[in-house]
Amino acid sequence: MLGRRGTLKFLAVPAFAWLVLFFFVPLVLIAVFSLREGSGVVAPDAPWSPSLEQYGEVLGTPAFMRLLGVSVLMALVIAGCATLLAFPVAYFLTFRAGSRAPLYLTLLLVPFAVSYLLRVMAWKLMLGPEGGINSGLLALGLTDEPIGLLLYSRPAVIITLVYVWVPFATLPIYAAMQRIDRAHLEAAADLGAPPWARFWRVTVPLTLPGAIATFFMVFIPTVGEYVTPSLVGGSDGIMYGNIIQGFFTRSANWPVGSAMAMIMLALTLSVVIVGVRLGGLRRLTA
Amino acid sequence: MRIPGRPRGAAAFLVIGFALAACGTQVGGGSAGASSADPVETPPPAADEPNELLVLEWSGYEAEDFWTDFKTAHPDAAVTFEFGDTDANILALMEGGSQADVVHFYTGWQQFYVDAGLVQEIDTSQLTNWDKVPDAYKELGQIDGKQYFVPWDWGFTSILYNTEHVDEVTSWDVLFDEAYAGHVSMWNDGPAAVTVSSYIHGYDETNVTEEQLAAIEEEWIAQKPLNAFYWSGEYTDLCPAVQDGTVWVAYAWQGCYATALANGDPVAYATPEEGRNSWVGLYAISADTDSPALAHAFLDMKLAETTCANAVTLFYYGCANGDVMAAIDDPVLVEAFGINDPSILESTNFTPPITAEQRAAWTAMWERVQAN
Repeated sequence: MLGRRGTLKFLAVPAFAWLVLFFFVPLVLIAVFSLREGSGVVAPDAPWSPSLEQYGEVLGTPAFMRLLGVSVLMALVIAGCATLLAFPVAYFLTFRAGSRAPLYLTLLLVPFAVSYLLRVMAWKLMLGPEGGINSGLLALGLTDEPIGLLLYSRPAVIITLVYVWVPFATLPIYAAMQRIDRAHLEAAADLGAPPWARFWRVTVPLTLPGAIATFFMVFIPTVGEYVTPSLVGGSDGIMYGNIIQGFFTRSANWPVGSAMAMIMLALTLSVVIVGVRLGGLRRLTA
Repeated sequence: MRIPGRPRGAAAFLVIGFALAACGTQVGGGSAGASSADPVETPPPAADEPNELLVLEWSGYEAEDFWTDFKTAHPDAAVTFEFGDTDANILALMEGGSQADVVHFYTGWQQFYVDAGLVQEIDTSQLTNWDKVPDAYKELGQIDGKQYFVPWDWGFTSILYNTEHVDEVTSWDVLFDEAYAGHVSMWNDGPAAVTVSSYIHGYDETNVTEEQLAAIEEEWIAQKPLNAFYWSGEYTDLCPAVQDGTVWVAYAWQGCYATALANGDPVAYATPEEGRNSWVGLYAISADTDSPALAHAFLDMKLAETTCANAVTLFYYGCANGDVMAAIDDPVLVEAFGINDPSILESTNFTPPITAEQRAAWTAMWERVQAN
């Protein structure tokens, strides 16, 4: 008979095994590939010795490093916008929606019933020269010809990804707000705090761990994005992830692609660690 | 959908196809599909081999129109597909241990497969449609006198342009014309970029020097702001953008041109002074297949009339069955394949295969261009 601790460990085995097989092992494989020399596909049984050649090539190519920086900046902007937009939605669901909150929450999640690709393609249509936005601007007489900047640009990538992430970003903030003890708000009100003060001094600080978690939940996968940029970004909106994809597919150069992926992973983790420290997440969640 | 190469022997095949165009059965009808196949006699798969095939293909070629004769002849055979999106990717999948029985790629990459021992020699005595393939095409699939590959689809690469916005195009350098900034689209492929620059500057494609490659890189970095997007899928990326007016000038295959032409769009397909490019698709049988007889039957049926006619009429690709090409009479297809232009071959480039070193250098150059 397993004890409580033994039962918990036993229940964790499938998830642990899953992570080891499909997260840890692939990560190790990528790390191993990044240490191989050459520029082609590497036969698994080919003899080799570890080398930092690929890292040297990637770090020594200014275009790659510049694009990595741009991608990190784009991810920061996208994560910031998604978190800011998700915050009032979560606030409404928690404090204003009342008994209809479950209904609104369900409506918020409706987009997830549609394929990610279809949602991005919808934006491609909307941002296109004959799309809804340009048609509206033309109909209102605000422009004489379709605005080309809307599609195949960096702003198009940012707009689309913010749209994609907002419903997802709402959930952790909503969960954090639901955990707020209403007695805190009532106490603040009893002590004479006006609504804005209760919001800034009580609601926001108590929701901050959820907001910071949301920010990084959006930031981390966005740094390596390649699907959305390839659909709506055009030549101008290419991100670092597109180059990694290119090395794995177009160029069939797995070692360089792996080194690029490892460098991105290291940088992303660094940003997260710095962000968590600056945000004081540990203190807030303690 | 697929990647172009530049075969030496394609010119001869085109000549044969054009010469035969005046006679034979009719193939055409724009977007209409061909009728279902007549029963075809093919050798049955060996009793001791699995009645199933895995085909390493380009996305889109899994459509049953592209293998309908095999489906008719072998209704019980299980055919599944694995996909690659570039020749480099497909070669990588094979080198990485793909279990595919049959693989489809394009000219320029043959030698890599033979050198790596990835494919086996084709037993052409098992191909009942082999005599319909012109000799020049057969030679494209040979290395050291051995038939390793079966030629199948082919076509041109040139400049597709919108005649309402662009004056007559006479050179590949229109891709670098600032007058069309934001309305240009180049294929997302390094070797293609090297080819275009070589045409423009008169470089020897077989021997591009480091200095020339550096100049090519700079040239394409400078071109990037003019480019709306680098296209990957002919029918998924490029054609819709040509048809909605986003793209006015594009590096394109004739399939997209024919599609736009059939749609009534104001487009033309240039014959640049530097010459068009031509490519040919090849099928091979994996060296490790457990179903060699069925794989041969699959390739044989790819060459059968209905399947080849579907490639021509539904997807506007040329096909290696000479009888099918000779029967083309649809004006859109005649225009797309340049059948009405007897001098087309004089201005078509057929470049030799690239080496592994060139492949690595050219693709890495292209990734740097995109990252800039």
